[in-house]
Amino acid sequence: MSGMMIGRRGLMLASAAGLAAPRVAGAQAPAVKLGILQPVTGALSQDGEYGRLGAELAINEINASGGLRALGGARIEMVFGDARSNPEGGVAEVEKMQAEGVVAVVGGFASPICLAASQAASRYDLPYVVDVGVSDQIVSRGLTNTFRFGPGFGVVTQTALDNLVALNDAAGKPARTVVIVHEDGLFGSGMARLLNAELPKRGFEVLETIAHPTPARDMNNVALRIRALRPDLVIPSSYYAEFVLLSRTMQQQRIRPKGIYCVLNGAASNFRFVREFPDAANLVMDCNHWADPRKPKTAELRRAVEAQNRFWLYNTPLNYSAVMLVADALERAGRPDRAALVQALAATDGRFERHIMPYGATRFVNGQNQAGQPVNTQVQGGDIKVIFPRDFADAQPVFPVTG
Amino acid sequence: MTARDLLPILAFAAVVALAPLLVSSNVVLNFLVFTMIIALAAQGWNLLGGYGGQYSFGHAAFFGTGAYLTAILQVRYGMNAYPAFAAGIGLAALVGLAIGFLAFRSGLRGSYFALVTLAFAEVFRVLANASEVTGGAAGILIRLRADPANFQFAERGTFLWVALALVTLALVATLMLERSRLGAQLVAVRENEAAAQALGVDVLSVKLRTIALSAGMTGAAGGLYAQYFLYLDANIAYGTWISVEALLAPIVGGAGTVFGPVLGAVILHGLAEATKSIAGSIPGIDLVVFGIVLILVVRYPPRDLPGLLRRRRRP
Repeated sequence: MSGMMIGRRGLMLASAAGLAAPRVAGAQAPAVKLGILQPVTGALSQDGEYGRLGAELAINEINASGGLRALGGARIEMVFGDARSNPEGGVAEVEKMQAEGVVAVVGGFASPICLAASQAASRYDLPYVVDVGVSDQIVSRGLTNTFRFGPGFGVVTQTALDNLVALNDAAGKPARTVVIVHEDGLFGSGMARLLNAELPKRGFEVLETIAHPTPARDMNNVALRIRALRPDLVIPSSYYAEFVLLSRTMQQQRIRPKGIYCVLNGAASNFRFVREFPDAANLVMDCNHWADPRKPKTAELRRAVEAQNRFWLYNTPLNYSAVMLVADALERAGRPDRAALVQALAATDGRFERHIMPYGATRFVNGQNQAGQPVNTQVQGGDIKVIFPRDFADAQPVFPVTG
Repeated sequence: MTARDLLPILAFAAVVALAPLLVSSNVVLNFLVFTMIIALAAQGWNLLGGYGGQYSFGHAAFFGTGAYLTAILQVRYGMNAYPAFAAGIGLAALVGLAIGFLAFRSGLRGSYFALVTLAFAEVFRVLANASEVTGGAAGILIRLRADPANFQFAERGTFLWVALALVTLALVATLMLERSRLGAQLVAVRENEAAAQALGVDVLSVKLRTIALSAGMTGAAGGLYAQYFLYLDANIAYGTWISVEALLAPIVGGAGTVFGPVLGAVILHGLAEATKSIAGSIPGIDLVVFGIVLILVVRYPPRDLPGLLRRRRRP
């Protein structure tokens, strides 16, 4: 199956290269090598594949439209590395990319991979642009080579809480009581602790915090507990399979809170969930990475992805945008030189517009894009719509959920 | 033990030690460092599993303890990396003693012992994931300060020498154990515990001393991992991956032999890298080869690759 996909993508790449070839041949500028690091084997392979897809689409687009102009129309050549879902894999691939002479590395996906790989890259002053990894440690280590275009964990949770309050206030404060459901591992526990500390300050009462393991095969007890507590809001922090199970169990048991509000959830912003379980997914809200729905490029990219029979996930636009960021910095640096590229990346400002994320004017401080922010999405009528912030929204929130 | 016995070990050390001088590619050096870390962890497993016949499925418990203590003492208590590393080895050995005491005193053997060690490693993983001092789910990050005084080296080659020195020490220690009274008793326990006991071997004491040694060695591999990658979380430190790596290498290379674990680690990881560079476009192809090698080794006696070669030579 994945072999077939590679064939098809390879074909696409070849055809894009074919389109660009006449112009490149005229310019004769040497190709610029760009390292794309994604986990495409192991537990994170789905995310890795969608990340790679985004990077490929960006590179194809740049090459098809004449390459990097400031570098005499140089094409971008992708050097792909499989981080195999662990930090050692990421480090080994960065070493290979360094040996290949890449000008920068984009990707990583998971925080541990990003932490280890960016550190390995820093040995060579090799610019590293994080695509997803939200750990706040990534940009607080003083590594000058590491940049993150998207938001970190602190910003995401803060925004999620602020938006929840705004949403609730706008609807006339229908929600007062909350049940938190979280997976007992990785990020779920941390998120639950944070929510427990912050929600009471914002006028919500946490009725109970329910932990469950990953993987979990049955959510009946959790659902029954929610039914007994009758909260206005359910806030789940779980991975894909567990959240799907929870929402389906709640649907079967006819448990209908006024809202299901997720933060960085593995399923609520995933079209697979929406397609496979449309009733359970309907009106679920999430605060997560998502592409800007108002940009025409977003729709174009989404069509290209769906034409390949694949789902529209946030990994694709984030990687597309990260590659565009590197391309933009290369144009400004004027030469494929690492030190110049680091400087150019750090100096990126609002004039960088080729990304498709719902962010304001780009501004990097210590490698973190200050404009990076999550948005609130809601599943409405089989589609995932942006409901918050208003500037980027393409739908009105349906809250409280009635009936 | 004579100088002659040490010759193969010294020859091996000399060959690997030359690598940083001959190869400038950090890809190769990085591969060698990681293989050495795995070889060290596997050598630890080999003492208990190979020589002692006590198959542990949970050497992650020792690897993780060594790794976490090395990291925590530096990050939370500002200790220098070297004493932290030593403390990590010590605590791993203590954890080994504790688990060994609980398991062996109750006479757990074979698959029961394997399951108990697996359970301990899992309990540690869950605890490390929930506790504050380990950084919980966010993990713990050792600050990058490339200075030999901090047990961090700007050159990967230098780290390779350090890892190689530890592996060489482990090889010598294994050889010494093999020739010692403890080693003989250990093999006796492996072959027939009841007979060994009847001959006056203190079975519990033999097993406890071995598990402490074994745990300390695997703990040292954990500490090395922490110093090399500078980041740990519960799934890295206490994940099943390292338990599996630690037992696969000796099984493929020859359990209960001095060179088995090193050979196994080099063969498995070398094969994986070679497959990746030949058929790199197919994700996971190296894991397929990994699996096939394991099936072949386990299916066809003498159940390890060097044994197979010996048999070919002398049919």
